[in-house]
Amino acid sequence: MDQPSQTEITVDNLSLSPSPPQPVQQITKQRRARIGKIIAYILLSLVAIAILLPFFWMLSTSFKEEKGMFVIPPQWLPNPITLANFQKILEKTPQTDLPRAFLNSFFVAITTTLGEILASTLAGFAFARIKFPGKQMLFGLLLVTLMIPGVVTLIPGFILFKWLGWLESFKPLIIPLLFGTTFAVFLSRQFFATLPAELEEAAKIDGANMFQTYLYIFLPLATPIIATLFVLGFIARWNDYLGPLIYLGRAGIENFTIPLALASLQGTYNLKWTILMAGSTLALLPIIILFFLFQRYFVESIAITGIKG
Amino acid sequence: MATPRSRGLFNSPLERRDAMWGYLFIAAPLLGFLIFSAVPLVSSLYLSLTNYDLASAPKWVGFANWSQALSLNISYLPQLADEASGELLFQCGRETVPASQVPNFEGKPVREGSKVLISCTPEMAVIGQVLPKDFEEVYEINFLGRVYVLAARDPIFWKSLFNTAFMLIGIPISLALSLALAIALNQNIVGSRFFRTVFYIPTILPIAALALIWLWIFNPDFGLLNYLLRSLGLTALGNTNWLQNAYTVKPALIIMSIWRGMGYQMIIFLAGLQGVSRTLYEAAEIDGAGGWGKFRYVTWPSLTPTTFFLLITSFIGALQIFQEPQIMTGGQPYFASTTTVMVIWQNAFRDFQMGYASTQAWLLGVIIMALTVMNFLLARRWVFYE
Repeated sequence: MDQPSQTEITVDNLSLSPSPPQPVQQITKQRRARIGKIIAYILLSLVAIAILLPFFWMLSTSFKEEKGMFVIPPQWLPNPITLANFQKILEKTPQTDLPRAFLNSFFVAITTTLGEILASTLAGFAFARIKFPGKQMLFGLLLVTLMIPGVVTLIPGFILFKWLGWLESFKPLIIPLLFGTTFAVFLSRQFFATLPAELEEAAKIDGANMFQTYLYIFLPLATPIIATLFVLGFIARWNDYLGPLIYLGRAGIENFTIPLALASLQGTYNLKWTILMAGSTLALLPIIILFFLFQRYFVESIAITGIKG
Repeated sequence: MATPRSRGLFNSPLERRDAMWGYLFIAAPLLGFLIFSAVPLVSSLYLSLTNYDLASAPKWVGFANWSQALSLNISYLPQLADEASGELLFQCGRETVPASQVPNFEGKPVREGSKVLISCTPEMAVIGQVLPKDFEEVYEINFLGRVYVLAARDPIFWKSLFNTAFMLIGIPISLALSLALAIALNQNIVGSRFFRTVFYIPTILPIAALALIWLWIFNPDFGLLNYLLRSLGLTALGNTNWLQNAYTVKPALIIMSIWRGMGYQMIIFLAGLQGVSRTLYEAAEIDGAGGWGKFRYVTWPSLTPTTFFLLITSFIGALQIFQEPQIMTGGQPYFASTTTVMVIWQNAFRDFQMGYASTQAWLLGVIIMALTVMNFLLARRWVFYE
């Protein structure tokens, strides 16, 4: 990191090579780079250990027998290994129904994300490729939503859904997203705007209307953005806690999503860490699988959200 | 558009038909914007001027909720004095004595032969008596040997604001660490893909599950953290009940949020670093800059837009922190980890004070909106750099 001091250079000069100054500079430069790299590896490894250790601990605990968690010093690896915690956590009891929560979470995450993608790409397509009066103004209006913090609209939203009689159902979680989200409209607009103009000219010659142009020409080209939106949307909905807590928190456990079920497990299996860790392990699994399937789009999505601002 | 033949807005029936498709396609998000953003935004402002419990119609109360939430008061807490002599009073053990008597008590054994020694403390006025009506203590502040009481009509709301502000301490630490990681990763590291993945994964996982893991790690008796601290010989630290102690609960939550959020920041920094032009580094080298010089005069200035972006988005996120304390501590102990969104949530969805909760939501919302506007203004610079 630091500039090597003058003395160091002369020491190198004397001991390593009595050649003219240029190679010396190169040697110190190489040396500096090597030291920098060693520091980098140490830092990266330490942080990687700090990040992985909790997950390792979770996994290890989830395969332990109950008495295994109270051993001091703790067992790093479970001995004996048991699957009983996973069996137990998947059992249906009056307080928990984790398999049901998985189904609920999948249902909510997939319907909302697909609906969001459909509505948003249509609007993004219109904003990018169709001429109509007032377009800029309406797009600007939509962008205003990005500035409204969710906490402000939370309470009137709740009152609206109560008035509609939608509380304790999935409707408040799903239906608003079927209208599309500003963020997804914005991303797909940016994407469609980059495609060449010949595309709709060809479609027009073939007599296609705008919806056909969207469906048969633009949508198939939009797979990267759709995959990115899917990844982002699925994760956001799978992890959402506040929404389900407000709209489903008072409902029966058959309506719980995964985060709600996990939070309530704490009461059911208080201090039974082996069982709780088995629950956490299962809850993380779908996202981890999604991550490794769609890794490329994750990287893209980060770059995009970063630029979005 | 401005051709001489144009009648009205459209040049041809075809254009008109296309425009209709356009309006149709954007109808859903625009309706969604109206129903789920614009109308709620305005009604939230209206609700904040009412009392509404969902059972009966909203009752107009003007700015009563706003003054209830915002009223703050600082009172000086005097030391009591003897009425007759005017001497300041001290509490020595069980006795209340004037200042002149203190030397007779201070440091003496409590009882004959006892090892416990008396210590004298100033006898302060009762807090309740110095505060204005309806105000309750938020914090006691010792300033230059004098005691002040910070009080509010809604002390829990103010505590939550301070707690939330305290959480912001984690942001510079997290940014510094993630920048260091990004710089480390940016030097042709073997296994950089592995490291990137490891750092990034916690940011996409459900907080509810991570909160359970960290509850187990922070467990005072059998938790991993205390075990590691004790095996390092830090016995006192290793016996801390991290989440039940008013001094450690916020740092514990900060540690967890740094652990969780660092990866995202690192990736954004990495993207920023890859955008720094090689020629700038070469120019710096020619000018004789070393490693630190290159960082100070090339890397850091080039990364300022990235840093601003991350700073503001992290602020917005931290101001709305809810899930971790809600699941891990419930705001305890003594409201030491109650955040503002938790207070809003409790007022609205547990106590059904929709009007008052809307006021608090607006107060928080205004801060966040200001930051978001700043973010948008800065985003231009950020996008420009891309």
